[in-house]
Amino acid sequence: MRVLMQNTLKRELRTKMNCGECQKKISVFLDNELDEITSATVRSHLALCAECAKVCEDFAAILESCRLEKPSEILPPNSQALWCRISNTIESEINPGPKSAEVQKSWFGRVWQVSFSQAGSAVLGIALISSLLTVVGIRNYIEPTAEDFTSRTDASQTTIEKVLSKVGLADTPQEARMRRFQEQRAAIEYWNNRVQQRRVQWDNKMRDAFDRNLNEIDQAVGEYTTILQQDPQDDLSGEMLDSALNEKMNLLRAFSDL
Amino acid sequence: MIRNLKYEPRVLMHTKPGKAHPLIQLVLTRKTTILLWLSVVFFFAPILNEVSAQRRFSRNYPATRNVRLQLLNRSGTVEVEGWDRPEISISAYLENPAANIAPQSLSGTIYIDLVKDNQGRNGVGNVNFVIKVPRLSIVDIETRMGNLSVTNINGGLVRAMISTEGDITLTNIGAGAVDAQNGIGDIFFDGEMRSGGHYRFTSIRGNINLRIPFNSSFRLVATAPSTRNISLGSFGNSNMNLLGNGRSVVGRFGNGSSTLTITNHRGSISFIRR
Ligand SMILES: [Zn+2]
Repeated sequence: MRVLMQNTLKRELRTKMNCGECQKKISVFLDNELDEITSATVRSHLALCAECAKVCEDFAAILESCRLEKPSEILPPNSQALWCRISNTIESEINPGPKSAEVQKSWFGRVWQVSFSQAGSAVLGIALISSLLTVVGIRNYIEPTAEDFTSRTDASQTTIEKVLSKVGLADTPQEARMRRFQEQRAAIEYWNNRVQQRRVQWDNKMRDAFDRNLNEIDQAVGEYTTILQQDPQDDLSGEMLDSALNEKMNLLRAFSDL
Repeated sequence: MIRNLKYEPRVLMHTKPGKAHPLIQLVLTRKTTILLWLSVVFFFAPILNEVSAQRRFSRNYPATRNVRLQLLNRSGTVEVEGWDRPEISISAYLENPAANIAPQSLSGTIYIDLVKDNQGRNGVGNVNFVIKVPRLSIVDIETRMGNLSVTNINGGLVRAMISTEGDITLTNIGAGAVDAQNGIGDIFFDGEMRSGGHYRFTSIRGNINLRIPFNSSFRLVATAPSTRNISLGSFGNSNMNLLGNGRSVVGRFGNGSSTLTITNHRGSISFIRR
């Protein structure tokens, strides 16, 4: 009986603000820029809605990882998210069917919307330039060519990219890569924390499979890192490290809600 | 043991006493035993049926030609096969403790999400799926653990993803885009590549084997940095270049009308002529 009442109460409170409204306000909420009443409504919705709470947690983690970096390094704040956004668009072109609600509300999708609205107009210009750089990468994803592993090296940088990196407005390929690894590692740490909380609930078979696979990825990450320490110009290892870190993040993310 | 009990009395019941096998005749003389067996069977049969009904889930949905199947399993095997009927047939065999399963049909897509349906549950048994779909379906299947196989599909996309361990077997595929990804396990693709198509195979450790026709046309980036074991077979030609001391092969086959990206971090890659 009590459970029933609690559920009714939850539903009532939740209906004061629906999930869409709540998720739209989360970024402003995290910046403490909502009026008191709206802020309270958001807070009570978050207390009762696991899905929106998860979105909020994700946002907070990303904002946190951005704040940890020096201000100059935040620019462009959303290059990785933008990459994902564009890559999602490409995938949706590949997939003619309807996308699931889950896919549309993907982690990076949310981040992109927020980071973008939070970026000032000055940042916007730089973000656009960065998106141009990103498109170079995307084009390589759709059209793998011999240039795939060399496209981000100094040799193949366009004149405008070179100029931008000279005046400090854009990263050199190595800097961009290092920043991306930092972002990936921050995300991995975040998902790993969640996994540590969940893993007690898995059965032994699941835990063993997870550990074996994580170990395998870590060995690959170790190999690429060693090569890159010896030869920072080894773009192939750079690409592979990027890919392995993505695999690790995806594995952790997949198991964070098991 | 229970099976034997159930089976033998049936034989007896369907056998005319006059033509009975000598062995059965011998058994028939021991009527008490038979009666005891029969009562055991009749007592347990309904319970057995009920248990097996709980363990098997099956449902059919009418489907358009290009319906989308979107499945997320926790653990167990998934077999998807294309057929010529305009319907989707889902059979699931649930091991104990049986998972909750609640497929949904929404605007041309069948969704099955066993992670969501069983969130917060401590132990959930394997769920083994056998699913039949129209050949032009979009097939998007994912599991945390266990083998995936897809056969006879010619739709827009086949995506198969295993977060940890399991083999991916894609046979007789003519889809416009294929994306197969696993952790530890083999990937086998046997099919045709469409002009303008995108094909991506990614593994952490295992063998990636592709069996494609010799008249295929693609631009290739194949990378196996740890083993450097990339075997192009009949697809090797002067347009293929080795990069990074053999860690990667990049190039073109035919006029390069589709893209093929293969990454195997700690395993091998090989091509077989279809
Ligand atoms: Zn909500």
